[in-house]
Amino acid sequence: MEQSIPSRRQFLAAIGNLASAGWIAMHWPAIAAAAEHGGHSGHASPDTAAPPTTLSTLSAAEAADIDAIANLIVPGGATPGARDARVIYFIDNALGSFFAAQLPAFRQGLTDFKTAFAAHLGTDKSFADVPETQQIAWLHEVEQTPFFAAVRRLVVLGLIALPKYGGNHNDLGWKLIGVVDSHVWEPPFGYYDQDYAGFVPYPGTKPNPI
Amino acid sequence: MKRKTYKPSETVDFIVVGSGASGGIMARELSRAGHSVVVMEQGPRLEPEDFEHDELKYRYLSGITNNPATNPQSFRHHESEKAERATGSNPLTYARVVGGSSAHFNANFWRLHEIDFIEGSRLGPIAGASLVDWPITYAELEPYYTKVEWEVGVSGLAGASPFDPWRSKPYPMPPLPVKSSGVLFERGGRKLGLHPFPAPMAINSVMYKGRPPCAQCGLCGGYGCEVRAKSSSVWTVIPEAEATGRCEVRSQSYVFRIGMNKAGRATGVHYFDHDRKAQFQKARAVVVCANGSETPKLLLNSATNGHAHGLANSSGAVGRYLMFNKGGGAQARFEHPLNEYKGANVTRIIHDFYDSDPKRGFYGGGGFDARSGGPLTWGQNVPKGTPTWGPEFKEYLESYTFWMTCSGHGTSLPQETNRVDIDPELKDDWGVPAMRVTYQDHPDDTKHAAWQIERAKEIMDAAGAIQIVAEPVREARGGVHLLGTCRMGNNPATSVIDKYHRTHDVKNLFLCDGSSMVTSGRGQPTQTIEALAFRAADHINKFARANEI
Repeated sequence: MEQSIPSRRQFLAAIGNLASAGWIAMHWPAIAAAAEHGGHSGHASPDTAAPPTTLSTLSAAEAADIDAIANLIVPGGATPGARDARVIYFIDNALGSFFAAQLPAFRQGLTDFKTAFAAHLGTDKSFADVPETQQIAWLHEVEQTPFFAAVRRLVVLGLIALPKYGGNHNDLGWKLIGVVDSHVWEPPFGYYDQDYAGFVPYPGTKPNPI
Repeated sequence: MKRKTYKPSETVDFIVVGSGASGGIMARELSRAGHSVVVMEQGPRLEPEDFEHDELKYRYLSGITNNPATNPQSFRHHESEKAERATGSNPLTYARVVGGSSAHFNANFWRLHEIDFIEGSRLGPIAGASLVDWPITYAELEPYYTKVEWEVGVSGLAGASPFDPWRSKPYPMPPLPVKSSGVLFERGGRKLGLHPFPAPMAINSVMYKGRPPCAQCGLCGGYGCEVRAKSSSVWTVIPEAEATGRCEVRSQSYVFRIGMNKAGRATGVHYFDHDRKAQFQKARAVVVCANGSETPKLLLNSATNGHAHGLANSSGAVGRYLMFNKGGGAQARFEHPLNEYKGANVTRIIHDFYDSDPKRGFYGGGGFDARSGGPLTWGQNVPKGTPTWGPEFKEYLESYTFWMTCSGHGTSLPQETNRVDIDPELKDDWGVPAMRVTYQDHPDDTKHAAWQIERAKEIMDAAGAIQIVAEPVREARGGVHLLGTCRMGNNPATSVIDKYHRTHDVKNLFLCDGSSMVTSGRGQPTQTIEALAFRAADHINKFARANEI
């Protein structure tokens, strides 16, 4: 799959792609200088680190349940969901490193979730193994719990954070929310500024340009 | 260029504690005047390539800010409560890198208006607050506001707002290109008879002073600018200070106590070096520019027999009158994509409601701007009525580029009980007693914020929003504008520093940062902090020349 423009590692390439456009062309020497000074000339930078693609903290069974919950929070379908974006690897990575302090409470929450689910359904099947309709019905039961809030928070982070953390695989999270990863933009930025006619001074004022 | 270094045993002319908005300027002005200067900075020095576009790291993991895991703080609303250690994020947040919070600011550069300096006498007493006049006026600070704009670099359109204070010079750079949020904000504001105008921003719009124009990457607030278009001290005045050959910026050097002799003079600073080894740097004078939380913490942790309640604290005002900038706003969704993740954070502002209006029945004034937030934070907060998971939540996520925020920035009243002091139990990773924050909004601050929310909703409605979301006003539990905690004044019994930023109690100890501010202004305090720094440095240099330090 063709990568979109990464923000840092191909800054110069991004500029090259846009070099014919007005604003960039006008400011080309300065932007090029900035790129050179900013060290964006293609060498390795922190956001190029390879993302984790295996589990290192959660067990396979734990991950299966969390992945099932995640994919109901942001379902797949016509557009990518949490599973497509490999959010589970972000969650696993986070709970094993920068959010490690949350792991005991998270695990306890998952245990309570599974226990209550089994009791509710009268089954020893895991959450991941039951039909989606049953999963959705159970999430409605627990959607106000701190555990669900914790999973939801991690899912959103994993969907949109830099791919190096494990989720947002192939920038799918950014694509979902409409964000293109580029280091340089020029006007017009959006729909409403494309036809902006310029600032009209107010009566009685004398805007004082340089 | 080989950077100048000094040995701790060498007695330098000045130590500047902090390398941020004020510390950088102080260092440049003192070293350019011929003085030897050591700047002490808690955090590391990052080069352009070290700054990352990583919202998770910078917004959630204290990437370049004070970290609650290693630099903890405690919080309570009232002095009667036991303060609890904050988790997740600290109540008082600031950047802990060379450049200080100027490295990660949004770069909104608003001057105070003339009224800000004289509200105490104009409005009279307000119950529960200590709203007093500054010992200086706008006229005294105006040349230094201009100096900030030209020396540090600010883009904008002078005279565009009918509410602007007078100025002696236009901006040195034209405004940044307008974004869709700015266009909509301007459309809504004009429809209501208001006067939106191009936002003054400390971001280059053209090549200026050897630094390039903004690349419009969209990541200003919370991030360092690796392009160096943002006028942060680390890209502007710090290198100029070092170029004198008389200034050393000593990073990863955490000052924990100011040294004093029996004659009541500062002799230097005790600090932990990058190996966490305690050191002492000798100096003839000390200028603390550590920010509105770290400056009072340092003074209170520097208590001696002669200063039992903290250094320079004979007034008891050190750490008191803590202010943020309370405000209220609204998010709005539009029919077409705005793509607010592109471009500098703010391009249009409104100052029609800057002054406090007694007819409203409460004190408070402020400004509005059009802005946006990063997607990680935005995705966590779902509007009431929108499901928090499932297909409809996904649709909400897909609408990210259709949203903007009309954000209000306003006053916080100075209250004696709102303060930074030292927690009796909590210590940081270096063993230094940590700060305890006590803060309760003044009722007028809350009323004004609620009033701002209604105005923001009106502006967004007039702009054509198809959905407007506003949360009720919440009680403040911290902030990033850290103001008022070592207030300036003529009376040593009620203030910490005089109008020249010299502490009333210690002749060779000066303070200059957000702590010096007497009132909060209406948000965006950095230009004022920098103007105060240029002015203070002028006076300190005069005192030095006259052998009056």
